Amino acid sequence: MDINKPLHQVLIFIVLSSLIGLGSNFVRSDSIPWFALELAVAESIDTDTDEPVLIAISLDQAKSFHDKGVLFLDARDEGYFESGHIKGAMKNAFLMELVFNIEQKQSKLEPLVVYCGDPGCGDSEDLAYDLQDSGFTQLYVFKGGWVEWSAASYPSETGL
Amino acid sequence: MKKYFKGPLVILCRLVLGGVFIYASLDKIANPAEFAKAIGNYHVLPFGLENLLALFLPWLELLTGILLIAGIMVDGATILIISMNIVFIFAISQALARGISIECGCFSVSTEGGSNIGFQTILRDFVYLIMAFIIFYRQDKQLEFYPKSV
Repeated sequence: MDINKPLHQVLIFIVLSSLIGLGSNFVRSDSIPWFALELAVAESIDTDTDEPVLIAISLDQAKSFHDKGVLFLDARDEGYFESGHIKGAMKNAFLMELVFNIEQKQSKLEPLVVYCGDPGCGDSEDLAYDLQDSGFTQLYVFKGGWVEWSAASYPSETGL
Repeated sequence: MKKYFKGPLVILCRLVLGGVFIYASLDKIANPAEFAKAIGNYHVLPFGLENLLALFLPWLELLTGILLIAGIMVDGATILIISMNIVFIFAISQALARGISIECGCFSVSTEGGSNIGFQTILRDFVYLIMAFIIFYRQDKQLEFYPKSV
């Protein structure tokens, strides 16, 4: 290690910061896990609560929401939406336009189910966080997405 | 141009940049969970890694800020500040391009105290970038204490 070399100095900074940052996390009372945890699937759902909600839901819970007429939002690209989506779902758009479109149908305080392709796609979770930042308070992420929904032969449709 | 990068100009840039980075680190160190959320909102990291960055980045900002002012390992601190600013500019630009309106998470990570990102945020980071380049290409090493022979 030659302290005169700038890149060696960079390495020292990185090592020191890592040690202090991760080390201090061990001793502080409000420590956080090293890796963020994925959304937990809800065991029960209370849509009457005033508390903000952002939680994952199962296929059965998604079907129950669909039967109650809750708005579904498809987080996938338009091409996927056109070839098949959950019946009545709204298609994704530029965020500002999407918020406007949703507010044409319901307020930001009403339940909204977001889904994408399959449990591994992640777009539904990303979009749910964006919507949370835009003021929506009752957000449910259907992680099984289109793959689970279509495999169960639940109501679906094609086209834009 | 580089011949002007010396004396009080360089020291002023070190003081301002060092102060900015120290100030920027404090709220993040105090609230790692909030900062992790702010990072997550940018959607540039694979899900899960924002916590690691939230634990590491504020301390990197604090160390580079303190040592830049103290005149210790100035070259290393400057390279890191340049790198961080380039990453910040990229992260903010892609969020703006995607139409995501989010808290900057630059100086304050609380929802009440933070400001939203915008073109002014990018402009501010470009100013910091220019100051960092002035330090990097400095022609003298006034008030630098370690290492002395760089």
